Amino acid sequence: MRNAFSRSLVAAARADERVLLLTGDHGYSLFDDFRKHCPDQYINAGVAEQNMVGVAAGLAKGGFRPVVYGLSAFVPVRVLEQIKLDVCYEELPVLFIGDGAGVVYSTLGTSHQSTEDIAAVRSLPHIGVLSPADEHEMTVCMDLAFESTGPVYLRMGKADLGNVHTAPPELEWGSLYPIQAGRGPIAWIATGSMVHTALAAAKHWAGSAVWSAPCLKPLDSDQVASICRNYGLVVVLEEHSICGGLGSAITEIAAAESPTRVCRIGVRDRFSRFCGSYAYLMREHGLDLPSVLRQVHDFLSRIGGVRSTAA
Amino acid sequence: MIRFQANNLRRTILRMAKAGSSVHIACAFSLVEILAVLYRQHLRHGTGGPRGKGRDYLVLSKGHGVMAQYAILHELGWLMDDDIDHYFGDATRLKGLSDAHVPGLEVSSGSLGHGLSVAVGLALAAKRAGTDQRCYAIVGDGECNEGPIWEALLFASQFGLDNLTTIVDANGYQAMGTTREVMDLGDLTAKLQSFGQETRAVDGHDECAIDEAITDLAAAPPGRPRALVARTVKGHGVSFMAADNRWHYTRLTDETYARAMAELSN
Repeated sequence: MRNAFSRSLVAAARADERVLLLTGDHGYSLFDDFRKHCPDQYINAGVAEQNMVGVAAGLAKGGFRPVVYGLSAFVPVRVLEQIKLDVCYEELPVLFIGDGAGVVYSTLGTSHQSTEDIAAVRSLPHIGVLSPADEHEMTVCMDLAFESTGPVYLRMGKADLGNVHTAPPELEWGSLYPIQAGRGPIAWIATGSMVHTALAAAKHWAGSAVWSAPCLKPLDSDQVASICRNYGLVVVLEEHSICGGLGSAITEIAAAESPTRVCRIGVRDRFSRFCGSYAYLMREHGLDLPSVLRQVHDFLSRIGGVRSTAA
Repeated sequence: MIRFQANNLRRTILRMAKAGSSVHIACAFSLVEILAVLYRQHLRHGTGGPRGKGRDYLVLSKGHGVMAQYAILHELGWLMDDDIDHYFGDATRLKGLSDAHVPGLEVSSGSLGHGLSVAVGLALAAKRAGTDQRCYAIVGDGECNEGPIWEALLFASQFGLDNLTTIVDANGYQAMGTTREVMDLGDLTAKLQSFGQETRAVDGHDECAIDEAITDLAAAPPGRPRALVARTVKGHGVSFMAADNRWHYTRLTDETYARAMAELSN
């Protein structure tokens, strides 16, 4: 997925010299191709993320297309106010890349883990939020981002989980992408690294339908409402806090348009306690497959099961 | 030719502050001469108006002084009497801090430590686009408490932005007291120099001296960003406001308004 990101970035920069990459002294080896092909469009802004975002805003006002790269703990979370005031308020075309989202930096602890970025950015007006699950979604998301005339945050999570799609999907801003059809009763909606887990978990309930959500904002509320209407339970999975992320966004729409049960699976309003492998931390947070299955079983027991309502 | 006469500008500020019952009068008064010199003698607007292509940029990072810039925009004809006399009226567009949606204001500031970084980006954009546009950014000395100010100065130096001039409105006060009491900046000129800025210091109410310093900075060897420490008096221009930090927060009464206007009549 990181290769797909690099390919899209280099292609965009080669096609348009207004594309400038700003990095806060991060991205070791990720930008080798970029620096080889577009050395004059590479700006290392130093370990100074706040200034970097302000500079990007100034560059955008001056006619350039800045891409601001950082670890998602820093871009967007550390610089949220700069994104709000300097970029979103003026609807400037700045693309923010938050790398290593979720608990990818499992050994580095809370400073480098990022499970609140979607919630933080989603509340800002004018900015789109993308969260690709594999290299094909990454390619499409980068296209959407560069076509945008306003700010975009692209969340880059765990890179090496393999592909969900066999080819770049047809994707529009706001739409959920169906990756497995089924009549219910359970609809699964997942984003980023959790799409794989959703597909694996869905196998345990006959009739499950699965959608990937590469676009978290805007969200097509008609499509979400339609899913809520047609399935007895919607399970939402994300490597992000259950507060304010995709689960919340789906729940907001469901509550207003077509009240249904929504089971939110994500980081449960807590920090990581221990250090260890990525797989270990996913277990600690209950985001590995066995934990997800258990949580869905428990949820179903609590609500007394679901019946299919699919047409 | 527009004169940008300092007492006229201060009277406009008072008109606004009275109409809107606004605070921050002293914050605006300290940078009146700086703005007057820049708009009269240095900024090139071209003919495209406030959003004209190729214009020089005046970035008010110290958003609390925005009434001084409104007074300038009023003299330029970019704001109308109606804007001045209905300041803070319902559904009006001029806010109490700099707001980039207002033509003539380049950045949204007031959350401090933002504007200088945007100014750096504008200066870098001009360099990369090969234009001769210049960018002037005004920051407060209180604002220099903010970390991103120093990040921006480092960046400007590293990237050789000699088309950027950072002007510090060094009035010696911040919201809750003197800069020395609250967060002492020490030798600000030496600090700016050590951050790679070609630096001058000047009496920030002496228009000839400001003009000479900016001209001198422009003539300095290329390759380094410029900085000017303008030693100012918060509330300068009205005797009972000068160096009295209560006028960061105090609102005008009919009586103080009349007295201040009388002092500023030419």
